[in-house]
Amino acid sequence: MKKSLPRRTFLRGLGATIALPVLDAMTPALASGANRLAAKSPLRLSIVYVPNGIMMKDWTPQAEGAAFELPRILKPLEPFRDQILVLSGLTQNNGRALGDGPGDHARAAATFLTGVHPRKTYGADIQNGVSFDQIAAQHVGENTRFPSLELGCEDGRLVGNCDSGYSCAYSNSISWRTATTPNPPEINPRIVFERLFGANAADDAATRAKRRLYNKSILDFVLSDAKRLEGDLGPTDRRKLDEYLSAIRELERRIETAERDNKDIAPPMDKPAGVPVDYAEHARLMFDLQTIALQADLTRVITFMMGREGSTRPYREIGISEAHHPLTHHRNNPDMMEKVTQINCYHMEQFAYFLGKLKATPDGDGTLLDHSLILYGSGLSDGNRHSHNNLPNLIAGGACGTLKTGRHIQYPAETPMNNLFVTILDRMGVPTEKLGDSTGTLDQLTDV
Amino acid sequence: MNRFITAGLIAVVTAGLSSAAETRSFATVVQPFVRKNCSGCHNASLMSGGLDLMSRQAADFAGKDRDLWEKVARRVEAGEMPPKPMPRPKEADIQAFESFIHAEFDRADRNMRPDPGRVTARRLNRYEYNNTIRDLLGVDFKPANDFPADDSGYGFDNIGDVLSLSPTLMEKYLAAAEQIAKKAIAADPPPKPTVERLKAELNSPHPQDFESKRNIGYQGDYDIRVQVAGQSTRGASHILKLAVKVDGEEHGAFEVDTAPDKKRGFDIRLPLTRGEHSFEAALTSAEEGFTIPFRIDHIELRGPFNPIPPPPPESHKRIFICGHANGQHNPECARTIMRDLVRRAFRRSVTDADFEPYLKFIAMAQTHGDSFEQGVRVALEAVLVSPEFLFRIEHDPDSGGPAAAHRINDFELATRLSYFLWSSMPDEELFRLAEQSKLHTPAVLEAEVRRMLRDPKAFALVENFGGQWLELRNLDSIQPDPDKFPTFDNELRAAMKRETQLFIQSIIREDRSVLDFIDGKYTYLNERLAKHYGIAGVTGPEFRRVELTGNQRGGVLTQASVLTVSSYAARTSPVLRGKFILENFLNSPPPPPPPDVPNLDESKIGVAGSVRQQFEAHRANPVCASCHMRMDPLGFALENYDAIGRWRTHEGKFPIDASGVMPDGRKFDGAAGMKQVLLGDRDQFARALTEKLLTYGLGRGLERYDRPAVQSICRRLQAKNYRFSALVLGIVESLPFQMRRGDANAITMSRARTDALVSKRSVDR
Repeated sequence: MKKSLPRRTFLRGLGATIALPVLDAMTPALASGANRLAAKSPLRLSIVYVPNGIMMKDWTPQAEGAAFELPRILKPLEPFRDQILVLSGLTQNNGRALGDGPGDHARAAATFLTGVHPRKTYGADIQNGVSFDQIAAQHVGENTRFPSLELGCEDGRLVGNCDSGYSCAYSNSISWRTATTPNPPEINPRIVFERLFGANAADDAATRAKRRLYNKSILDFVLSDAKRLEGDLGPTDRRKLDEYLSAIRELERRIETAERDNKDIAPPMDKPAGVPVDYAEHARLMFDLQTIALQADLTRVITFMMGREGSTRPYREIGISEAHHPLTHHRNNPDMMEKVTQINCYHMEQFAYFLGKLKATPDGDGTLLDHSLILYGSGLSDGNRHSHNNLPNLIAGGACGTLKTGRHIQYPAETPMNNLFVTILDRMGVPTEKLGDSTGTLDQLTDV
Repeated sequence: MNRFITAGLIAVVTAGLSSAAETRSFATVVQPFVRKNCSGCHNASLMSGGLDLMSRQAADFAGKDRDLWEKVARRVEAGEMPPKPMPRPKEADIQAFESFIHAEFDRADRNMRPDPGRVTARRLNRYEYNNTIRDLLGVDFKPANDFPADDSGYGFDNIGDVLSLSPTLMEKYLAAAEQIAKKAIAADPPPKPTVERLKAELNSPHPQDFESKRNIGYQGDYDIRVQVAGQSTRGASHILKLAVKVDGEEHGAFEVDTAPDKKRGFDIRLPLTRGEHSFEAALTSAEEGFTIPFRIDHIELRGPFNPIPPPPPESHKRIFICGHANGQHNPECARTIMRDLVRRAFRRSVTDADFEPYLKFIAMAQTHGDSFEQGVRVALEAVLVSPEFLFRIEHDPDSGGPAAAHRINDFELATRLSYFLWSSMPDEELFRLAEQSKLHTPAVLEAEVRRMLRDPKAFALVENFGGQWLELRNLDSIQPDPDKFPTFDNELRAAMKRETQLFIQSIIREDRSVLDFIDGKYTYLNERLAKHYGIAGVTGPEFRRVELTGNQRGGVLTQASVLTVSSYAARTSPVLRGKFILENFLNSPPPPPPPDVPNLDESKIGVAGSVRQQFEAHRANPVCASCHMRMDPLGFALENYDAIGRWRTHEGKFPIDASGVMPDGRKFDGAAGMKQVLLGDRDQFARALTEKLLTYGLGRGLERYDRPAVQSICRRLQAKNYRFSALVLGIVESLPFQMRRGDANAITMSRARTDALVSKRSVDR
């Protein structure tokens, strides 16, 4: 890749001031980047995690293949039906106790993307495996500013005992850079924005677009005003006004250049003020940021935890004042089960918003959704019984045409989830022979 | 010598003897004098000083060579030429030579048509921009401070021809306009509520006590949730007390049950103001010896709910002169707001066509979802980058042809006045008088000038005129050698500047004689500066007026500020100080030194001899001597003051010799004696000050055609005992200040109008 000024420096210049003396220095590098993008849209990998399992009876479609009905929890995905793959039957065996006793929530998150049995400890000697998103990031991340992004919607302590003797690190992170270093998710949209676009990026994209428009019409107006004025003046005053006119014209040229060169990477959104109180607003802001990061090719690998595993968040936004985790231990109480389903649906609605954004974002010869592979799932299926088999998983997005979507695939019981990861890594051009407890690749993803 | 009186007498004499004068000519007076006294050096082959006087023609004498011959006469008159050791011409020859020159030029002046000159459209400089924004909108945050520095011409940075406008500056103007509009107009919606978690320190030794401070950015209600966590007690219930304090005051007391599945989060809602607040929570148990198994995990802050916007800034009220606090602006109100804004920003009366185009910015913003107030912001931005705001443009009237001289209109006069005395836009009273076309009437004008000089805004004259005339601005960057002057620091630097500013201000405010600049017997000191001067009885950091006794201090030339800016970092320089006086007090700057001048051997100063002895060795070179004989005596007179203005009687082991002889033979000793020489030349000083202040006031360099105006102002100053107001009024009522020529080479000013103006001015009040 051509050595260029950091993009962030560049974007900072797009703020309230239009001073862009660095433009000329940056243009060549950007142009070559744009060419590379135009040649072929890269595959983006995004993983969305929901905690505390799913009400499986409202998740798993009855029928296999293409002719399936969307169950209640999947209903929000109706507009994207043709671009999803529901995968049933996958298991993370290492999430099970295997002699370590309680702690299924911690293990659910820890194993979700690693397939490795985590060491039971709440001390500093945490030990897990490298998650597959990080293996992908190590290979495709060198092309982008951020090899990967780790995001979340819920704050958690980084150390200490979170679940029956497991360190909080296990339930807080699904992404592990090394066996001993989890990637803690960032939950503050403002900080994510600043990380992506620089702390000084103007605070608001709609306003920025408006700003450009306003500045243009202001400059247009004063230019014509100055020309009118010039007619009334003698030669020496006219010389002064000529200076003014050429300064305005030069400024207009600079703004145009900046606009042309930044069209693809200027953040088309508001700079968030902080963490919104409203959950949906928070989640959607985080999805907006992910969309922009993928669109601008700032990263190609993202993991996003809609809640930390074992989350006790109440969802007052939809009238649920009880904590999520205790509700999932419903002991077949219909009222509690209904509330869990409502939470599952609520999460899915936010996810559908994300897919909608990706679908609405042009990218190369298609949309961003066409060029993404998004895995949505949880490390537990039945939260009541802490089941680690038959995990709720679905893939959304066209994955650059490497998947045949619009189907529900039922895999044999106990098929290792890691087989899916090996398959995805293969699609991303990262051939991997064995990953955790994988036993091979998953068939049926590209054909029946 | 009083040159004006001399010139006047000669004029009278020559007028009376016009027939006799006619018999004298360039060929009979000038050429023989030059041949006899000057041709030894100033001939075609030697060309000393680049000057060949022998080839000058009679035809050019009063024309293109006029400046040259005036200079020759001045230097002969001052005794500088011919230089020592050449013999001095006979006094009678000198008299004949000079009287011929003065008479010829006076006659030329009488025949010259009055010309007010023409000021080029002036861009606001940084000071003017800051002040104008302050007075237009009432926001005082100096947006121009990061604009590129303005170029100076003729010693000042408000000269229209020199003030340029680069694209980079234009960019700054646009950015500043946005910033200013945002500050001036309250239009941002309150923020949406956000949540912030204040986390307890990990591994805190007192996990039951929690304290954290947070800055609240927006007033409103906040939900404060205290989350406790820990190992629940199975079997037995223990009740803990949870106390929550905000800003040290208890706002919640809760019971925490340690049994499993009990409540762990506790909420209170409080209104919080903007600013820092402290949040505390503490868990306690009444049970003796019970080890509390819980800790305060974190406190969550959610808000603002029911946000309360801050009160609109003063500027907001100044702009929204109609309509209710928020919204409720009918279209007519938008017109009223913009009419007023454009009028004040463009410093003139406005027609509908002037402000109506700006209304479309409000409409445009509103169609893009912005509020009315936000729309006014955009319109304001457009106003602030308009050429009519950034430049002070004066319009030539349509009648009278492109080159006609004309009286500027009252708005233009108000603008000239306010930028002259305030470095800012006119206030409402000036606008009102301009609207009524009363401002130019002499009585009103004089009353306004006096009012403006009393206004605190007249401090701009101190800062900008005084700061540049006396080079005070250089104080900010000067760095005296810390080894030689360990007592110099920023506090002393600031005190030096303050003294001179207060001194200038007193002359303006109290309408004192401008001769006080030379030898005012008072000053302004604080303890630090008084100690620096060795003056007893001044304590504390505040400045107060101090009457001066003795000969050490008095006038700006013996103030530490001037003494320091006219010194080198490690030593005094009689040359720099002499040059300072010639330039700024006598407006007679020496020419730059010729190339290849050997430098002073710095290593020998204070070792092989005093600075003075070193200089005298340097001056032995006759090429150098002709200029240095003017500069050096003035500078040597100040040798009793070191490079940071402290009094001294010795320089190292050498006693100070502050005596001097002017080229014309006048002898003096020390600063006091030198000031007497300057007071003897008071009219030259008055003329220099007039030329400086007129240049500053007009924003252009002075031309030959300005001489009658300068003469007339000087006469008035003299007649009014040199009072400062006479100087300012003289300038304000002068031809170049009140009138403007059209932009062409020919002058087609109507003779009658000019005569009317000239006669009005010549009647000294």
